Amino acid sequence: MMNSMNNGNVDHNVEKVFDELKSMFGGCEVVQIDERQYKLIVPSDKTLGMLTYLKSIGYSHLSIITCVDWIEEKKFELVYILFNWSNGVTFLVSTFIDRDKPIFYTVKDMWPTAEYYERDVHEFFGVEFEGNENCKKPLMLELWNDLPPLRKDFDPLKYSKEHFPDRSYDKDPMHEARIIRGDIEGDIEGGEIDG
Amino acid sequence: MGEMKLFFGPNHPGLHGNFSVHMYVEGDTVIRARPVPGFLHRGFEKLMERRLWYQNLALIPRICVQEPDINEACYAMAIEKIAKVEVPERAQWIRMIVLELARIANHMWAFGGVGGPTGMYTSMYWSVSDRDKVLDLFEELSGARIYHMYIIPGGVRKDFPPNFEEKLVKLLDYIEGRLPEYETFILKNRILHTRLRGIATIDTETCLRIGVTGIGLRATGVPYDIRKVAPYLFYDKVEFDVPTATEGDALARISLKPQEIRQSIRIIRQVLEHMPSGPVNTKIADGNGLRIRVPKGMAYAMVESTRGEYGYLVVSDGEEKPYRVAVRGASYPQGLYGVEHLMPGTRIDDVPIWLDTMGVCAPEIDR
Repeated sequence: MMNSMNNGNVDHNVEKVFDELKSMFGGCEVVQIDERQYKLIVPSDKTLGMLTYLKSIGYSHLSIITCVDWIEEKKFELVYILFNWSNGVTFLVSTFIDRDKPIFYTVKDMWPTAEYYERDVHEFFGVEFEGNENCKKPLMLELWNDLPPLRKDFDPLKYSKEHFPDRSYDKDPMHEARIIRGDIEGDIEGGEIDG
Repeated sequence: MGEMKLFFGPNHPGLHGNFSVHMYVEGDTVIRARPVPGFLHRGFEKLMERRLWYQNLALIPRICVQEPDINEACYAMAIEKIAKVEVPERAQWIRMIVLELARIANHMWAFGGVGGPTGMYTSMYWSVSDRDKVLDLFEELSGARIYHMYIIPGGVRKDFPPNFEEKLVKLLDYIEGRLPEYETFILKNRILHTRLRGIATIDTETCLRIGVTGIGLRATGVPYDIRKVAPYLFYDKVEFDVPTATEGDALARISLKPQEIRQSIRIIRQVLEHMPSGPVNTKIADGNGLRIRVPKGMAYAMVESTRGEYGYLVVSDGEEKPYRVAVRGASYPQGLYGVEHLMPGTRIDDVPIWLDTMGVCAPEIDR
């Protein structure tokens, strides 16, 4: 089966959605990013309601859940990226939660894959998702015992210096390579390499 | 019969990439499966926050080894959205050529990839050797075979080298001539049919529920393609079809690949007709040389990769480095949730086929 639909000139009809969102969820702010992309900044207590509503009107594809660490404002920004397959519009639903007490609610009942996105966000930012019982299981980082690594106050260089001491070399490998290649004369420990 | 735990990881020749599955089996049937990523976690997202905007160009193609150009395109397009920069027209057409060539190369590679687990080595030899011809062209265009670093914020690095377009047309003719052979000798081969039909079947409802996109979704009969639904670059100015199948099994997914290659060839031919001459890049923001400062903002850019939706969320705080970059790998849903919930019921020897035809790519999950 072939399909030649082309969505180049579709009326996205998003203005109506914004009016409804603003009447249903007070305090929602809309920022247009480009022709087909909008950021919706919503208070954290109204986020789940808005996500449920958006899913019910066609914004049903969850691309990713991710997090941004605004350390100076002491906030974590959770971003849910929703896509609508019928009009090609993307919404970045953004909400701010307290950085010192990073607890939010799971959406895994709406989007099963969210279980893994939430585990990812928990592992790298330390945000807990109530209702996601697997949230605290390690995913990528086994036996991690430091700050969640994508937080801004985690310093990877310092971590590396502490955990992986610099190697010291007794011999100069470049000098040895030159001897093997025959550029200079000299001895290397273990004798000549055969063949 | 007792339950036994088997480790299926990078040590197995049937698994492409550093990813593993802990399989709990009874007899030769998987009854539970647990995905274990993280073997090559190199902290790309963290590293990007510590490098200049342009320095990251050397880093990002490595997030998806087999299909690097989509990373460059997403990164560049997201920055352009934040900076509200209009990319020169010629650069956008060139980007389409690069993305479609990358698409052809990756379909070839995946087409070869299925040869290993099925024992159909002809498929591997042919497609990998033909893919190399695409890489030759990439080398001429960008100086590199795999990691091109060619698409940059603001356009592309440089214009086509002399006689590039003639070579491109010649390559397209060659690949188009090869496709009937692929279809006759490989896709109609009994080995492939016996091994792939009815294996790793997934239905539309499950795909949409868990977020599987791309060929996985289209093989269930849904013609969703981001190039059509939310056209980026000039995909709304070219004509192409979205091939679909209805079976939703491994055979359907593989059979769509040559059809997709045909559409990519069709797109590139149209691009060559439409493409005007002119500049190929523009200044993205104020700044000294490569030390640009991207204005404050957040944007998500996505492209249709061979495995589905691939996207970058880029956040800038107006400084010389990105504040945050998040990568949405195309195989994240099927690679993690899919392995845990959809793989059980598969036979052990079909597990490599499951992972291969679902397009599970470890580096984009680990990123």
